[in-house]
Amino acid sequence: MIPLLILSPLILLAALGAVWMARPVHAALLLALSLALNAVLYLVMGADFIGLVQFMVYVGAVAVLIVFSLLITRPGDEAEELRRRPGALLPGVACTLPVLAMVLFTVSKTAILETGNAPSISMESLGKTLFTSHAPAVLALAVLLTAVMIGAALLARGAHASGLPRSASCETKTADETGSEPPIS
Amino acid sequence: MLPLAASDASLFSPEFLPRLPQRLVEMILTNLGAAESLVSIAGFLAAAGTVLAVFLSAFALLSLIERKILARAQNRIGPNRAGWFGILQPVADGIKMLTKEDIVPAKAERLLHLLAPILIVLPSILALGVIPYGREWTPLPLELGLLFFFAVGSMTELAIFIAGWASGSKFPMLGAMRAISQMVSYELPLMICALGVIMVSGTLSLPRIVECQGGFHLGFIPAWNLFTPWGLVAGLLFYICSIAEANRCPFDLPEGESEIVAGHMTEYSGFKYALFFMGEYLGLFAISGLGITLFLGGWQAPLPGLDFVPSWIWFFGKLALVIFSFLWIRATYPRVRIDQLMRFAWLCMIPMSLLTLPAAAIWHFTGRGALSWVVTVPLLAVPWIITAMIFNRRLSPATRHYHFAE
Repeated sequence: MIPLLILSPLILLAALGAVWMARPVHAALLLALSLALNAVLYLVMGADFIGLVQFMVYVGAVAVLIVFSLLITRPGDEAEELRRRPGALLPGVACTLPVLAMVLFTVSKTAILETGNAPSISMESLGKTLFTSHAPAVLALAVLLTAVMIGAALLARGAHASGLPRSASCETKTADETGSEPPIS
Repeated sequence: MLPLAASDASLFSPEFLPRLPQRLVEMILTNLGAAESLVSIAGFLAAAGTVLAVFLSAFALLSLIERKILARAQNRIGPNRAGWFGILQPVADGIKMLTKEDIVPAKAERLLHLLAPILIVLPSILALGVIPYGREWTPLPLELGLLFFFAVGSMTELAIFIAGWASGSKFPMLGAMRAISQMVSYELPLMICALGVIMVSGTLSLPRIVECQGGFHLGFIPAWNLFTPWGLVAGLLFYICSIAEANRCPFDLPEGESEIVAGHMTEYSGFKYALFFMGEYLGLFAISGLGITLFLGGWQAPLPGLDFVPSWIWFFGKLALVIFSFLWIRATYPRVRIDQLMRFAWLCMIPMSLLTLPAAAIWHFTGRGALSWVVTVPLLAVPWIITAMIFNRRLSPATRHYHFAE
């Protein structure tokens, strides 16, 4: 209970920071922090496998992907854009509300386990369950990921074949023009 | 953890030598009547301290040995002024690093600039904790040790990004971009190669993976994973990937001195620079240690009848050999180009490492005997030869297009 009380405000603060930070890189790093703290929460609760996988996938892969895509795209002024077109808020709200409703509904339906009642699951039984009774889900995910990979390869190939430069070097250019600012601001 | 006994006769045997600090701390605290939780925490701290002491002194030694070996390879003498044979050179380097001015560029993000070197060293130290160094010496015997290793290791990329971005200048940013793309590309085959070992051993616990490699074929060939068809291929791929993960020559583009000064470390000086250096070497130890654990039988002796030598000596002997091979490669090969690096990763390393998975599965289900050899050797050798032929004829060296430099 005490780790939860310490960790959850930190997670919330980091997540709020990820939303409110003006510079996208700060937001991405805070998002990574909040995801890492989530992994710590899993570890504290005794779900070692989920905790480590959360760390590996979200901090090691997703956060890196986000900062990498920040690097190779040209920074635009989203806040300015939003001020000019307030209608752009609508899709965001339309996406957020159902998710929030679903989360609240699920949480209200879930029975809260008594402390000390947490099931301890060995890695072996977890693996067996995952690859026997949950095999269809795993296979479906595998097919999805393979399709995504093939799609990415095709996209990369198309860009290469049409003679476009494969590396985006526009950010060094903008940095040269403005002279002072680092590429991402 | 082994049961604690004050009258344990084996306490002072060479096999237990590396665990002596932990046991002494535990014994003293127990005799003083400390609480059990306090005793175990102090014991773990002592164990962690042992590992840190061993590898920090190994780091200091390696920084000298590397310069000596490179010097020999280039027909020079190398450092020989500080002490006999240059033995005090690491001390001199340390004093120099610590007394240097700590410079933070005006455009840098101060907090992130400070955070990056810490975040670089942290995962390497954590990863060193789960490796089984000896029969009785695994500082942190986790059930999910391998997963833990990769999970903390994945923090390095973010740390390098922070270092590159927070410096607020161009060379660090370019270096960080190179480093991240290289590490992401080579982490994939690295993990896939480790997957084969997990499949055959049936566990994620590193001490148990080492135990699975005990025994000898035909009485003298050690039953290490390296001496199986899939293990040989996976081990070689793992070796190449670990060079790339450790950012060492010929894959040291992220800090290519002749192109981008020192990559993400350009804007660091003094102690922070030393931390980067330390993180790199500790990471090298960790990834070599993992490779030894997965493919070279960990602490297992290489020949029967050599069990009287403490097992951790075998581990560190293998570690020394692997590190020496890294140094030899650094002294021999020129740096690759970024397009060659990426091409090699995606067109050769990943397909070949994926192929080791079915080979490992077939090896496991055909009884690991003569039949397994007959089936898996052609399965791996034919694609290997074809890939090598394609790479030699058509793909390498690729023509380079200059888009912005006509």
